[in-house]
Amino acid sequence: MTMRDVGSVAIALAVAAGMTLVPSKTSAQDPANSGTQKGKGGGGGAGKGKASPTLGPAPRMPDGKASMQGVWNPANFAFTGGPYPLQPWAQKVLDERRANLSKDDPEGYCLPAGVPRISPFPQKTVQTPDLLVILEEGNIHSYRQVFLDGRPHSKEDQLWMGDSIGTWEGNDVLVVDTTNFNDKTWLGGSAPHTDKLHVIERFSRPDLGHLNVDITIEDPGAFTKPHSFQRVFNLMQNTDLLEYVCNEFNIDKDHLVGK
Amino acid sequence: MDERTMQNYLKFKLSIAACATLLTAALPMLAHHSFAAEYDSTKTITVKGTIQKLDWVNPHAYFWVDVKDANGKVTTYAFEALSPNALARQGWNRNSLQKGEEVTVDGYLAKDGKPLADGSIHANSKGVTRADGRKVFQGSSADDAYTK
Repeated sequence: MTMRDVGSVAIALAVAAGMTLVPSKTSAQDPANSGTQKGKGGGGGAGKGKASPTLGPAPRMPDGKASMQGVWNPANFAFTGGPYPLQPWAQKVLDERRANLSKDDPEGYCLPAGVPRISPFPQKTVQTPDLLVILEEGNIHSYRQVFLDGRPHSKEDQLWMGDSIGTWEGNDVLVVDTTNFNDKTWLGGSAPHTDKLHVIERFSRPDLGHLNVDITIEDPGAFTKPHSFQRVFNLMQNTDLLEYVCNEFNIDKDHLVGK
Repeated sequence: MDERTMQNYLKFKLSIAACATLLTAALPMLAHHSFAAEYDSTKTITVKGTIQKLDWVNPHAYFWVDVKDANGKVTTYAFEALSPNALARQGWNRNSLQKGEEVTVDGYLAKDGKPLADGSIHANSKGVTRADGRKVFQGSSADDAYTK
């Protein structure tokens, strides 16, 4: 084998390794195939794809709780979590937004995407016994603090990202309860919500390579009933969040004409 | 290189190509805004010209291409690319396009038809082919399956 061949082998191995390090947005839609994806995307649908690798058993923190830590890529960003059970006024708002091709989406103006909507970019979870922090690469570099120290919800309200507190169910499931929202963000698929929005996320890690978040949304101001769906994230290994400063040169906002 | 080595070499070349294709297909190609609200997916363009400059900025990198017609008149196109973080994850950077180099760009025109402040024609890039055939900055927010 010549040096050139060695180089080719090295590149091939590196690229192949890269594939496992950067799981695809379609590759971990195995939950859809195994029947655990509970909703259908209002826009993209659950989609199809091969399973991304499990990579090994789920890790644990020193206190015995499941570790949710890692850099996570949404397995299927196109999955909106919808269609949502909207009241007539909210359905009318959604129809208007879609007719306008979502030109007024706050995210296009570099405002937060909110909760539980996500950006197409990775997020990083940092965990301690008292606090879980979710750092978002997209979503204007926003962060979520999930307090695990037993405190009640904050008195601060009208928040873009809400106020999050978490409790453990055993050692495997972290239940995150988020309230105190404003009504300015859009749900996935452009659906509206009110400041009565209440989001419950159940975080679990079936294996090293995946983070599952079972989400239930209530909004007595905009929904006819609670709505549940599951979002899956794939672990990105040997990488980290990158910089993304949305407002640097956002000339898009001056050219979002819609129809 | 003997025949067996050559076979191995070709096999690895193929595996590189296959992996690269899959890797490209696997990465998110998304924007922070609705593509359809800003660009017209039916107004596709292909322009050949020289790179005037590349701005490695958020939320989208932009590059300007000078296109000369038969009479020597220059028209400048400003192309929106993916975000720097999305480009970087695919191995591209602020030096992936050099000032003055010849490129062919496939893209979509902006819906409003308005030039940018500097007078350039506003478009969205699907991908750039360099003079030696190498492709860079592949992918567009138009690939977004998410109908926001």
